[in-house]
Amino acid sequence: MKSLFLLVVAFVAVRSDNDDNAARLLASKSILNQFIVEGKELTVEYSIYNVGSSQAYNVELSDSSFPEEDFQRVSGSLNVKWDRLAVGANVSHAVILKPLRPGYANFTAAQVKYYPTEESQAVQVGYTTAPGEAGIVGLKDYERRFSPHIVDWATFAIMTLPSIGFPFLLWYRSKSKYDVKHKKN
Amino acid sequence: MATSTKILALAVLAVLPLLMNASTCIGPQVTSNVYTTSEASMSISTVFVVEVAVKCNNGEKDLLLFADVNGHMVPATQSGTGKFQVSWSDEHKKLPAGTYGVRFFDEEGYNAVRKEKRSGTDGSAVTPIFTVNVKHSGTWTGPYVQTEFVATCVALLVWYMAYRSKSFLMS
Repeated sequence: MKSLFLLVVAFVAVRSDNDDNAARLLASKSILNQFIVEGKELTVEYSIYNVGSSQAYNVELSDSSFPEEDFQRVSGSLNVKWDRLAVGANVSHAVILKPLRPGYANFTAAQVKYYPTEESQAVQVGYTTAPGEAGIVGLKDYERRFSPHIVDWATFAIMTLPSIGFPFLLWYRSKSKYDVKHKKN
Repeated sequence: MATSTKILALAVLAVLPLLMNASTCIGPQVTSNVYTTSEASMSISTVFVVEVAVKCNNGEKDLLLFADVNGHMVPATQSGTGKFQVSWSDEHKKLPAGTYGVRFFDEEGYNAVRKEKRSGTDGSAVTPIFTVNVKHSGTWTGPYVQTEFVATCVALLVWYMAYRSKSFLMS
């Protein structure tokens, strides 16, 4: 009985030793936009956090969920590497894209590959969180709702000019005639 | 026997610095591309992205860069040989318009800054490999006054002038 107990303890000790001294990365991907508009910038932010007890080596973040024909790259790279991530390190990476077509888009997870210890040969593959489905608003609809419409207001002002200006002109003409008569008197 | 081991040890010590990967960049030529958030409705926090392409005179290929971003050090990501990116974000209010200097360090510089910070100073005495100036023209959060408001004011003003002259005539 005692030997069985010791065996179980040894087994548990060995198992927990496996998870000790290894890096564990948690990654999130989020879209920072309030509105996603066709032709305007789309801000994507990735955060990677090392919650393990060792440095992570050769951390590689690659996102293939933005095809070139639907999203134009404005700034930032979708495939990046960190040489090392220290224990407790919290790093962020941002990419700016421009959606080229309106409609629904499903934002899926990006992939994170790393080596949990310096000696490990097997690469650990993980995924970020996925922001999910979102709609890309067409530029015309967005501008109809949010642009200052300066040209529209100027056109409106010019269009109201006849209905206000015409009676005003009549009154002003008669007023100036009356003033002249008054001065003559 | 002892002398030969001594000579061997000395030889190894002499060769060791040459074997160590120094990984410093001498005479860096830097091209940088900077992006800052321009409209608040396109991002809930202001994001700065600095992309640099570095070419070293000594042909260093395994360069590791760290950037001093608003007081704390972040490792730069590598997106190709000699291409690095640093990005950070914060609330719109905390990143107002202005020029932000981002200092880039190699591993030696990074360790030097960490040592200085541990001893109490802010690490600004360490010379960076290069510095990139980020000009942020502010995040636009909307016009000061809506055009609808201006149009309403003008309409009210016109009505008021007409009303005043009419009451003046009638009196």
